[in-house]
Amino acid sequence: MIRYQCLELLAANITDQLLVTSQSGQRIEWSHLSKHEGNLLVGMMGCAIGVGMGLALALPHRKVIVLDSDGSVLLSLFNLATLGNLQPKNLMVYVFDNGVYSGSRISYATATAGNTDLEAMAKGAGIKSARTIRDIEDFKKHGIDALAESELAFFVCKVEESLMHREIPRPNTDLAENKYTFVRYLERTEKKTIPFIGRG
Amino acid sequence: MTDELANRIVQGLKDAGINFVTYLPETRLSQILPLIRDDPEMELIAAASEQEAVTIAAGATLGGKQAAVYMENTGIYVSSYSLLAVGKQLGVPILLVIGFLGGIADQRNSFLYATIGNHTIPILQGLGIEHMLLEDGDRLEIKIKDAVRGMNALRAPFALLFAGEFSL
Repeated sequence: MIRYQCLELLAANITDQLLVTSQSGQRIEWSHLSKHEGNLLVGMMGCAIGVGMGLALALPHRKVIVLDSDGSVLLSLFNLATLGNLQPKNLMVYVFDNGVYSGSRISYATATAGNTDLEAMAKGAGIKSARTIRDIEDFKKHGIDALAESELAFFVCKVEESLMHREIPRPNTDLAENKYTFVRYLERTEKKTIPFIGRG
Repeated sequence: MTDELANRIVQGLKDAGINFVTYLPETRLSQILPLIRDDPEMELIAAASEQEAVTIAAGATLGGKQAAVYMENTGIYVSSYSLLAVGKQLGVPILLVIGFLGGIADQRNSFLYATIGNHTIPILQGLGIEHMLLEDGDRLEIKIKDAVRGMNALRAPFALLFAGEFSL
């Protein structure tokens, strides 16, 4: 299974969900596929699930989707325990697990290429719905269908290493610029002011 | 810390607009936790790491909450990555409510805490995070409001370091 195929399917199903993307090749691919104003680009690894959790808790009526990677989840394993206890029903996490630190350009293996099983770890942390997806048909059946559900979803999507993100244009949107686009989109769709913006 | 000071901290946070608190408990200010937990106007979220507490608070802020993270100052070391990656780089205001162990004004200072305390303010300065040291209840509510106004204006985390009478 190729990550870009999964993201194409996901992009076609985005309406008013909020998406948080971690730093990895999927951030570049998602930026290429989706110009949705509800995309929030987090420019570092290991932070996207936490930010997504905070959004999901602040806006419990709104679906929040986190796009993350195996390397990033391994940096922030504490998120699994918190997710397992909070169980935010409006949060979906897709971990695109290619088993390598692909961004490093030498593609050394991550722990998930060895003995580490993120689905088992998530289940052990209390995320009973955690599921591993290994082919595109399963991604359609489980990964896409779950968008209509109202329960915490945690998908470990086993993908091949792909260098697609090096072949497509990199996003030139500054992180602060993206943040304001995201916040203004939220203000418009939630019909409320985000307090920290304040007045000039 | 007296119950009166604990109540004034929590009321001060509320009056300043804080309505969402993530935390890892510590010893100096822990009396504020049941007060926040029992307040229907505030949401209290337990995190497994200060690094995570910062990212959850950042997400809540972007979603329309006014968020604080309550932690021990050791949490500054643990969360420095997410304070930079999300707080500073993305520009998200978060109030850091910190039990300042090991500082000169920590009334329970000892060899266990002094090294941690000694490096806390230089670490905050290195991260470019504004801070205020509070040692007693004088103008407490005003200082909390100043910090919240300051963090929102700066679009960045702001640290309140509690020591002195707060560490008794």
